[in-house]
Amino acid sequence: MVADRFPSPFDVETPPGAEGWESMYDWYHLFGPERRELDEGRFWFADRLHHPDVLHPYDEIQCECWWQALGAFNTRIFAMPPAFGVDQRIVNGRLYVTPVAAPAEDVAARAEEFGKRAGHYYERWDAIYAEWKEKVTAKLEEIRALRFEPLPALEPESTVFDHVGHSAGFRMIRDFDRLVLTMYETYQYHFELLNIGYAAYLTFFAMCRQAFPDISDQSISRMVGGLRVELYRPDDELKRLAKEAQRLGLVDRLSGTEDAATLFAALRSDKAGAEWVADWERTADPWFLINTDPGHPGGYHTYPTWADQPDIPLASVREYLRRLEAGESIDRPTDEVLAERDRITAGYRELLPEDDRATFDDTVGLARQVFAFIEEHVLYIEHWMWATFWAKSHELSRALAAMGEVDEPEDMFFLRRYEVAEAIYDCVAAWSVGSRPRGADHLRPLIARRKEIYTALRAWEPPPALGPPPTQIDEPFTVMLWGITTSTVAEWLRSDAEDGTLRGTAGSPGVVEGPVRVVTHPSELPDVQPGDVLVCPATSPAWAPVFARVAATVSDVGGIMSHTAIVCREYGMPAVVGTGNAVATLRTGQRVRVDGDNGVVTVLEPA
Amino acid sequence: MSDTWVVDLADPAAADVAAVGGKGAGLHRLVALGARVPAGFVVTTDAFRAALPATGDVEAPLRELAPDAPIDQVERAAAQARARLLRAVAAGPVLDAVRAAYDDLAGGISRVAVRSSAVGEDAAGASYAGEHDTYLEIRGRDAVADAVCRCWASLYTARAVSYRAHGGLSADAMAVVVQEMVPARAAGVFMTLNPANGDRSTVVCEAVWGLGEPLVSGEVTPDRFVIDKISGEVVRREVAHKERRLVRRDDIPGTHEVDVPDADRDRPCLDDAELAELLDVARRVERAAGVPQDGEFALAEPGGPARVHLLQTRPETVWSTRAPRAATPTDGTGAGPRTALSAVLATLTRGATTPAHTHEGTPDHGG
Repeated sequence: MVADRFPSPFDVETPPGAEGWESMYDWYHLFGPERRELDEGRFWFADRLHHPDVLHPYDEIQCECWWQALGAFNTRIFAMPPAFGVDQRIVNGRLYVTPVAAPAEDVAARAEEFGKRAGHYYERWDAIYAEWKEKVTAKLEEIRALRFEPLPALEPESTVFDHVGHSAGFRMIRDFDRLVLTMYETYQYHFELLNIGYAAYLTFFAMCRQAFPDISDQSISRMVGGLRVELYRPDDELKRLAKEAQRLGLVDRLSGTEDAATLFAALRSDKAGAEWVADWERTADPWFLINTDPGHPGGYHTYPTWADQPDIPLASVREYLRRLEAGESIDRPTDEVLAERDRITAGYRELLPEDDRATFDDTVGLARQVFAFIEEHVLYIEHWMWATFWAKSHELSRALAAMGEVDEPEDMFFLRRYEVAEAIYDCVAAWSVGSRPRGADHLRPLIARRKEIYTALRAWEPPPALGPPPTQIDEPFTVMLWGITTSTVAEWLRSDAEDGTLRGTAGSPGVVEGPVRVVTHPSELPDVQPGDVLVCPATSPAWAPVFARVAATVSDVGGIMSHTAIVCREYGMPAVVGTGNAVATLRTGQRVRVDGDNGVVTVLEPA
Repeated sequence: MSDTWVVDLADPAAADVAAVGGKGAGLHRLVALGARVPAGFVVTTDAFRAALPATGDVEAPLRELAPDAPIDQVERAAAQARARLLRAVAAGPVLDAVRAAYDDLAGGISRVAVRSSAVGEDAAGASYAGEHDTYLEIRGRDAVADAVCRCWASLYTARAVSYRAHGGLSADAMAVVVQEMVPARAAGVFMTLNPANGDRSTVVCEAVWGLGEPLVSGEVTPDRFVIDKISGEVVRREVAHKERRLVRRDDIPGTHEVDVPDADRDRPCLDDAELAELLDVARRVERAAGVPQDGEFALAEPGGPARVHLLQTRPETVWSTRAPRAATPTDGTGAGPRTALSAVLATLTRGATTPAHTHEGTPDHGG
């Protein structure tokens, strides 16, 4: 059956056992009666691309960062003509969002402002981007320099003899503020270039589609890609380490299956092995500061980096080594990619009317400039900044646990960031006075209850959207950023569960059958068996080793330019992406048919 | 001169339209481009004229016709002209040269197509489409010589006579193309643009199992492929259910319709390597011609990696006359965007006219 609207956000029921979940999140992030009239008429969709799982109270900061920064840059700074910001609400621990359109009557005036403001950036893009890297790297160094340790029984002598003038307790309060504010500031920079960059990239796509209705997204991307040197660097480092292992005669010793800790300990026993391990450790900072979240990296405190879990990059090194030993080349053919990029660009250009070519040239030039940022900023912000922010947060949580403010480090993440600031003050005050914090005694029942709520919320299957769907989704950023279109939403409204069929976007062609393997966390990747159909919220480049094993991939989120779709096309295996609810619907072991030509997944037998 | 009577399609002399006619010159151009074209030769206009002088005045019956003569009189006069011509050319060194050339072509055992190639045909403005004769599946030296004579005689069918009278054209001389027939495993047509939307970055191809006639005449639904000219990707692949195919058999002349084996019915009749080869040759043909082309092709039975044979190509006539699609919206004044910024503004203010499927970019808003 086909419904005409999604449930009202005000009719969504609290899952059993999750009563009181609202206390886990900031009040301004919730639906409330005061905004009912506004919010009930809006179309909200679950932002599973960036926040596929239940949010921990502490991790709410991640949403706040982009809620404010994206909005300010679109709405107030660059006057993006058709689009204001993207509003957010949390329901049962999940993030729902709705893009806010600029009023139609304002678009012309905003376009004039945008021309001046974004035009300034476009004209100086490379120089501004170079400054940008310096700004962000400086912020990264700032938060790397922060230290969160249990407060000392007696201040070090340097506090006195260097005339520091403040206490370790004060510094803990200050540094937590700095940690949060620095991350927040970096998010301003993130959107300083991102959406005006997307606007230029989107324009190039639109131009190509106008002239060449049949052109594929990949062809358009290939005309602007190929420049993203830094984004490839982590993978290039893995390749280099594979070659080093070969040079040092370590091939046999790396060809086993033992975990990284065991292997590295064994390697350290001789000179060549120790040299390689030392190389690995030097490389790990910063190149293995790579978050492993499925889909958008850096969104949660719970996912390890490559550096935290070296088994993940080690699997890639072993695969590269195997290919090297088989005589294959593992180098990325950069020159060929660039030559091919120039060849196809010239090819399409030649097919345009002559008086159109100057615009094409100017636009492809700008699209290439902005695309380098679009690709590379992920390394700076989503990987380096967020990995460091979460690592420092973990450092703080360990200090607080050591001081008895919370029972165990993970408890801190069940507090909102404002509550963490309160806990730090409680802890610091008691330390300063030589008294006892209210701390864990006060927080214990609250955190215990929130852990129950968190578990209950995870069992809840969020509807893909809330409220009345728009008749047409044409707001360019919604289409581009989330891959959500009029037809996606129509699919969501279809009730497919009964006939055992899931629909999504045809991400990579081909049809195969196989057993489902649901993977929601990179720690489950070793369970994947050859021939499995990988079913996941989304994939990330950090998951690379698994693609050589699976027969097909089905993801909850993503369009045809998502990581999953791109990788599956490279590996020549079918993919259906953006199904919305494959992870919730399919069970490990179920046999399914994945039709990557038509974007359909059919359940062949019940679990 | 007997050495100018028969010219191989690959011979540079076959570039001369006055000698080999429109069809012959077109096929020579394809050969010269390196396209695979079924082997063959042209019986030139020189040969036609050499065969003719002894015969006397072939056209005399036609000259006696009144300009507004009724159709039955035209028919009668045309038949007399054809009879005169066939009597006149029946013997002599020219036809011996044709027989010898046929013997040289695959040892004289191949089946050939014998096609008229008038000097003015396939040129802009006068296609002569279907006005002259074509004979398929001809085998044997005498049968070929006979078919050549009948092609010559088709200069004087009533419809050709009327066509010329209507256009003020004279009969001039007729060349004849004799070409091996490809025992097609699959065959089809292609266009170097998408006729549905004028997209010049694509080659659209339709194909069926077996010979191409049922496709050309619209009797069957073919497989349809849209190939990106620049990237080489097959961007769309619509595979039809194909139950019957037209084939030729070695034991009986002519063509026969037979069932497609079950396993092949829902399988694309061209694979990626064949589509890549077709794309390559289509691009070369278009580039050499300077305007979009359409054409017919056949795939020989497997035997090598390369097996796309071009049967003919022509300028595409509908979209070619218009300007290519523009990348920027035009308001009719020719004052579209010029800079990237103006293009960005045009895109961002187009609002509701942005197609929903415009594209999906790298999904990332920042989180």
